[in-house]
Amino acid sequence: MEFLAFLVVDGVLAGAIYALVALAFVVVYKASRMINFAVGDWMMLGSRMVASGIHGVGLGLGGALAFGCVGMVAVAMAFDRVVLRRLFSRSLLTLIMVTIGLGIFMRGSAALVFAGLPGGIARPLPLDPLVIVGVPVAVEKLVAAAIAGACIGALSWFFHGSRTGLALRAIASDQQVAMAVGIDLHRHFAIAWGLVGVLSVLSGTLWSFVAGGGFGIELLGLKVFPIVIVGGLDSFPGSIIGAFIVGILESLTAGYVDPLVGGGFSHVASYLVLMAALFVRPYGLFGRPDIVRV
Amino acid sequence: MAVSGLLEVDDLHVSYGRIRAVQGVSLTVPDAAVVALIGANGAGKSTLLRAISGIIRPHRGAVRYLGEDLVGLPVHQIVRRRVIHVPEGRGMLARMTVLENLRLGGFALKGAGHGKSDLERVFALFPVLRERRAQLAGSLSGGEQQILAIARAMMARPRLLMLDEPSLGLAPLLVREIFRIIPRLTAEGTAVLLVEQNARMALQCAAYAYVLQTGRVVLSGRAADLLAAPEVQHAYLGAG
Repeated sequence: MEFLAFLVVDGVLAGAIYALVALAFVVVYKASRMINFAVGDWMMLGSRMVASGIHGVGLGLGGALAFGCVGMVAVAMAFDRVVLRRLFSRSLLTLIMVTIGLGIFMRGSAALVFAGLPGGIARPLPLDPLVIVGVPVAVEKLVAAAIAGACIGALSWFFHGSRTGLALRAIASDQQVAMAVGIDLHRHFAIAWGLVGVLSVLSGTLWSFVAGGGFGIELLGLKVFPIVIVGGLDSFPGSIIGAFIVGILESLTAGYVDPLVGGGFSHVASYLVLMAALFVRPYGLFGRPDIVRV
Repeated sequence: MAVSGLLEVDDLHVSYGRIRAVQGVSLTVPDAAVVALIGANGAGKSTLLRAISGIIRPHRGAVRYLGEDLVGLPVHQIVRRRVIHVPEGRGMLARMTVLENLRLGGFALKGAGHGKSDLERVFALFPVLRERRAQLAGSLSGGEQQILAIARAMMARPRLLMLDEPSLGLAPLLVREIFRIIPRLTAEGTAVLLVEQNARMALQCAAYAYVLQTGRVVLSGRAADLLAAPEVQHAYLGAG
């Protein structure tokens, strides 16, 4: 029973970070219907920038985060301005290929630019786990989840309480109408990508706290797909809930199934859920089917 | 017409590929006046509005608004000049609330502060929207959506309002409701360019009118004169 509680808590904490990653995906999808296949590479680059802010420039954690955000927003703006704006109204396939290309470019150039710089981000926290009502909880995961939760809250306020958020939601709802009320589409696409930059820094850093080092962050991006497919590509609450489902599921299969089948099954489990979701509700648990009136 | 206007469209040509939808249309909308654009389906009326609001780019001609040529400006820049287009089919943000739709209507106005009084004014004109402000726009009836579309346009404090088929598909009572609003708009200084299938109602509420046929202006003048003209009566008003 205690083991079950431990696994569920661990899954929830991982889910909070997954949710942040998923939001980075959904922000762009909602605004421009673009599927960013390189979320993981964005996270990787974000965390590497923070790490080099610490190890290369000698900044503290706060300064390094700011450094990373500025860097990633600059990358996002450049990508939007130099690549995407030229491809405006091209086919979805073209745009997807471009995101994959950018991901590969990020991976390759990060290896060159950050060569020799350590990728780890030291966490300013004790390592002893807290024990809450008999369940051990890793402090770094708890803090990371709390920060992720705060970020999600801030993002939710941004989308529902601010003028720019309102405009982004209008674009997500109908681009033609958004234009007709005077929203500058290109400016807001750039803002959406800038948000992806900031979210990449935050979630990349949090993941480094929890998993240590920059190792395998790209793979974090792959978890986004089961999450957003389960939750619905265009739904913020859906993708947050999807993130928790995937987090808990991974944790449970890692605890109960991996010892039986020899490890690694937990990574597959979420894809089984993805396939089940596609059979039952192809538009996700919280997504809405596109209804076309003929 | 020799009136110098708020909007002067000069020899406008618009094509969709090889189809020439508008072929050399010139028209004038005087300040704070209603100008009706009538004609059969496919005459180029909607295309003309789309060209004025920057959604499609004409390949020849000028759209002068307060002396400035709007051709080539992006849509949001034209909206910022308070030229507001209510397209046919209303263009609701169906999954956003009535209130959010209205707030977006004022999006192009720079600076805060007037949003609230504009909202109050619109709610006073259309009490039904106040009742339904928390509802999703997509859940409104057709007539309510048309009212919301006009209300949303009013939130932008239009200097020139272009209405495309505002009465389409509405019950007669609602049509009268819509046409009741138009004189109030002009009284507040808004000019209205009105595209209507219902030629009689359009001509009754307009000061000037243009009749479009296959992309060309075939008749123009005072609306009252056109209402009495035999060729208009015959072709568009269903009279002998």
